[in-house]
Amino acid sequence: MKIIRLVGFIVLACLLATGSVFAADTIKIGLMAPLTGFAAADGASVDNSVKLALERVNNEGGVIGKKVELIVYDDRADGKEAVAVARKLIQQDRVIGVVAGSYSTPSRASAPIFQDEKIPFVAAYAVHPDITKAGNYCFRNGFLGMVEGKSAGYVAVEMVKAKRIALMTTDNDFGREMAAGFKDYIENQGKGAKIVLEQTYPFPEKDYKPYLSKIKATEADLIVVSGYYFHTAPILKQAREMGIDTQVLGEEGADSPKTIEIAGKASEGFIMVTNLNRDDPRPEVQHFLKEYESRYKIQPDMVGASAYDAFMIICEAIKRAGSTDGEAIQAAIADTKDFNALTGVIKGFNDIGEVVKEVQVQVVKDGRFRYYGVVTDISLITP
Amino acid sequence: MQLFFEQLLNGIAMGSIYALVTLGLALVYGILRILHVAHAGVYTVGAYIGLFFFQLTGSLIIAALGSMVFCAMLGVAIERFVYYPLLKYPPYVPLIGSIAVMLAIEELCRLIAGPHILTFAAKLPFPEIQLGGITISSTLMAVYCITAGVLAFLWYITSFTELGLAMRATSQDIPIADAMGINSHLIVSITFVLGSAIAAIAGILVGIYYNQVYPTMGAVPAYKTLALIVVGGLGSVPGAVIAAMLLGVAETLLIGYANIPLPRDALAFIAMIGVLMWRSEGLLGSR
Repeated sequence: MKIIRLVGFIVLACLLATGSVFAADTIKIGLMAPLTGFAAADGASVDNSVKLALERVNNEGGVIGKKVELIVYDDRADGKEAVAVARKLIQQDRVIGVVAGSYSTPSRASAPIFQDEKIPFVAAYAVHPDITKAGNYCFRNGFLGMVEGKSAGYVAVEMVKAKRIALMTTDNDFGREMAAGFKDYIENQGKGAKIVLEQTYPFPEKDYKPYLSKIKATEADLIVVSGYYFHTAPILKQAREMGIDTQVLGEEGADSPKTIEIAGKASEGFIMVTNLNRDDPRPEVQHFLKEYESRYKIQPDMVGASAYDAFMIICEAIKRAGSTDGEAIQAAIADTKDFNALTGVIKGFNDIGEVVKEVQVQVVKDGRFRYYGVVTDISLITP
Repeated sequence: MQLFFEQLLNGIAMGSIYALVTLGLALVYGILRILHVAHAGVYTVGAYIGLFFFQLTGSLIIAALGSMVFCAMLGVAIERFVYYPLLKYPPYVPLIGSIAVMLAIEELCRLIAGPHILTFAAKLPFPEIQLGGITISSTLMAVYCITAGVLAFLWYITSFTELGLAMRATSQDIPIADAMGINSHLIVSITFVLGSAIAAIAGILVGIYYNQVYPTMGAVPAYKTLALIVVGGLGSVPGAVIAAMLLGVAETLLIGYANIPLPRDALAFIAMIGVLMWRSEGLLGSR
C-alpha cells in the first residue's frame, strides 16, 4: 500500500513538474509601464498597444515555434519602483527581453540592471541620453531631444518660414535638450530667423497667461512649445483666449488625442514633430490605428505606437537570431535594418543604440492629427 | 504699461483661485488646529462630481449644487471618521491620517474615473469686458465674480449671524464654548460643510478654467495651501485670502518680468520661510 502511495506521489510530482515545464515553454518578454500615478494615461496607452502587438505575433505563430508571453509590471514612473520591478522580471520571471514603456527616470534606473544580466532592453519613448549609455544591451526607439529639437528647427525655418520665434520650454531634461537642438539649428541654418524670447516654465505649471502676455508683446510669428499634452493643450487654449493667433509648433509630448480634446478648437492648425504619422499608407499602420480606436474607444498616440514597435523589434530580433540567448538577440537588434515599424521605417540603430528614422510632422485638422510633412535630412535625424 | 495691467489681472485670477482652495483649510485649522491636507482631495472630488452632474444634466447650476452637497458630506465624513477619533493624539497623528485620506482619494478618483485627463467643456456665463485696450476674458471675469461672491457670503456668515458667532467662539476655546451652551461638535461639522462646499466650487471653477479634471489635480494645492495659511497667520481666514492674492500676483509678475529658474511654487515657500523668520504669527495672525 505504502509503495503504491509513494508511486502515486512520484507520478503526481512528475505531472506537476512537467506542467510547469509546459508553462515555461513560452518566450517571456517583460514590459514596464507607469500603470498608476501621474503618468497612468501613458501607461494605459503602452499596455493597450503592446497587447495588440502580442496578439499579432501570437496569431502569426509566435517566434521560433513558441508563443510569446508578456509580463507587465507597474513602475509608477518611479526610479525605486523600477529597480524592484526589474529584479522581479529577471529573477522571478526570467524574461529574455524587456520593453521599457515608461519615462526617463525609471528607464534610466533599470537599464544598467538589465545590461548586467545581458538582457536586451528597448526603451520605447523615454528620452534621457543616459539610458542607452548603460551599455550595448540597451536600445531606444524614440528620438533624442537633440534630434527632435533640430528637426523642429528645420520645420520652423523651411516649412513655416518663421522669422521671429518665441521658445517656451518645459523645465526638464527633454525640454532643455530639445531647446538646445532647436537653438543650434536656428543659429547655424536659420536663414535669418531669430529667437526673440526664450522662456522656461516649471513642469507642474497650469497657468501660462503670464508667459503668453510676454510673448504677445514680442510680436513673434511662431511659438515653439516643448511639453506634454497637459502643457501644450492649455497653452494653445489660453493663447487663443487671450487673442493670440500665432502659429504654435510642438513636439512629441503633445502627441496625444488629449491635446485636441483639452484645447478644443484652439488646437486647429497646431503642428508638431513626432514619430507617428497618422496618414502613413502602410497597411500595418492603418490596421493598428483602426484596431486601437475601435477596441479602446480612444485614438492611439506615439507613446503606445513606440512601445508596440519596441516589442516588435525584440520579437523580430529573436526570429532572426533563432535563439533566446541574450547575446544573440542583442546582436540581432543591433543589426536591425529597414524594419517596418509603426513609427516609420527604422533604418537601424547606431553604435550607442539610438534609433535612426525619419521625423514626422503632424498638423491638427478637423480635430484629428494629419500629415503635414516629414524631416528626412540624414544629418538632422542621426543622433 | 498695458502688459503690466494684463499681468496684474492674470495674477489676481491666480490669487482668487488660490484663495478659494485655501479658505476651507484656514477655516478648519482655525477651529480644530488640524492641517487638513485632505482638503485638496475634497477639491479634486468636487471637480469630478461637478463634471459628472454636468455631463448628466448639462446644467452648471445643478453640477455646482450636486458637487457642493457631495463634498460637504465627504468633508463631514472625513471629520467624523478620521479626525474626531484622532483628536486625542498629538497633532501630527491627524496630519498623517489626513495625508492618507488625500492619497486614498487621489487613487480612488483614478480607479473610478480613469487615469486620463477629462475635459470640462462648460461655458461660464460671464461677459467679456474691454477696458482701454485691455480685454478681460469671460473666464477671468468668472473667476473674479465667483470668488468675490464666495468671499462676501463667508464674510456675512462669520460676521453677522449667530452661526458665525458660535464658530468664532468654538475656534477660540472649545470647552468654554461648550459651557456656554454651544454644540461645538455640530459647529465643527458645519465648518467642514462650509469649507468643503467652497472646495467643490473651487474644483469646478479650476476644472472649467483649465478645461482639465484629473486625479492628481489636488497634489500641488495640497502643499501650497499649507504655505498660504502659514503666511496668512494660522487660522486667520482673511489672512489666508490676503496671502493667496499676494502670492498669485507676485508669482505672475515675477514670471512676467524675470526669467528666473525657480519654479513658481518656490515663491510660496520662500514667503513662508520669511514669515517664520520675521513674523512667525503670519500676516494677520495673533500670537
